[in-house]
Amino acid sequence: MRGMHLTAIGEGSILLEPGAGLDPLNTDLYLEPLMSFLQQEKARKLIYDLKNVPLIDTIYYNWLVHIHRLCSISGMEFIVANMQPTAAFALSTTIKETPPFICALDVESARLSGPT
Amino acid sequence: MVKKETKSTNQLLVELLMTRVAIISNVIEERGKDIFGKDNLLSTEEISDYSLEFLELFVTLLHAGETIDRRSSEYKALRRFFSEFSHQIQVRGSNLDEFVRYVQFLQQVFIEGLEETSSLKFEEIRSILLLIASVFNDILLDVFHVYLDKKESTIQAQQDELKKTSTPITEIWDGVLTLPIIGTLDSSRTLMVMEKLLSRIEAERAQVVVMDVTGVLAIDSQVSHHLIQMIRAIGLMGAKAILTGIRPEIARSLTSLNIDLGDVSTRSTLSEGLKEAFVHLGIHVDSTDRREIV
Repeated sequence: MRGMHLTAIGEGSILLEPGAGLDPLNTDLYLEPLMSFLQQEKARKLIYDLKNVPLIDTIYYNWLVHIHRLCSISGMEFIVANMQPTAAFALSTTIKETPPFICALDVESARLSGPT
Repeated sequence: MVKKETKSTNQLLVELLMTRVAIISNVIEERGKDIFGKDNLLSTEEISDYSLEFLELFVTLLHAGETIDRRSSEYKALRRFFSEFSHQIQVRGSNLDEFVRYVQFLQQVFIEGLEETSSLKFEEIRSILLLIASVFNDILLDVFHVYLDKKESTIQAQQDELKKTSTPITEIWDGVLTLPIIGTLDSSRTLMVMEKLLSRIEAERAQVVVMDVTGVLAIDSQVSHHLIQMIRAIGLMGAKAILTGIRPEIARSLTSLNIDLGDVSTRSTLSEGLKEAFVHLGIHVDSTDRREIV
């Protein structure tokens, strides 16, 4: 899928690695194809890898919230992992509430965490 | 009838200096040795060089025009000389008094030179005195500015050091960091601590951060906002924040301010916080003391 790389990493977990072509403003472009893929793979957990995302602004944050909602509707767990210190720092000053999605230290922690 | 040419104040002062340059130079150098030589602040050669440079700059300034031009490069060079001289003396441990006394002495040397001259009229002497006073007042102002700047930078450096040492981040167990917060939490301190803390979480792959607020003097809406911001940032990194050491006064303030810490774990003491951290990590601590019960 353009702008993101999806990999099945076992035990019903799918790893999403955003790429350079991802446009977080156009969520409609991605949500349906993403959901198709997740259902096809019978995914129970979607892990979003933020290691290459140095900064998360309001637009990007809303994009993550959209994916979370998509997963919630389908009974899947959504976890973000590897948030960079700079991104965490900036986001903590921007958002006024605890994010609805789970944050994990890294992909391995996200994979091992039990479903809520 | 030949009209006598009127000399400017600058010219008069230059002539005065030229007739007595050797004496003035010697007197300035000897006084410099008295003030700066006794504590080895300056070597004999340095005192001699400084004395000579001062006289050269001053004469150059007087030669530059009919009157003293404060915007001229010669005037700026003289002021810069004293600023740098003052800075060097302070770096070597001298106090402001000594340097001010030295500058005042220089002024005195020129004025004493006037007393020994009988050929000048009252108006000429008055204009020379005003010129000398004006120049040396500016020099003294610069010296004070150098002193104040150094003091301010020392204070700033001490404050920065205090900020760093008052929030040490320690790894007390694999994956467990502690952050004792002492004093108050203002915006600049919060920024500094958060930057360090988040980098440490990433570097140590820390899963728990125990923030102890026993040392926080008082909590207001701003401090609580900064605390919540830090807790949120820790959560975004995927680590768990545990808040410990909430004293009764702090609890009362948080209640009065209607601040909701959300789902942050709180414990009364650091040791309780550590136990909570172990539970989160799935670590069980057991005693090795196997006393036989009779």
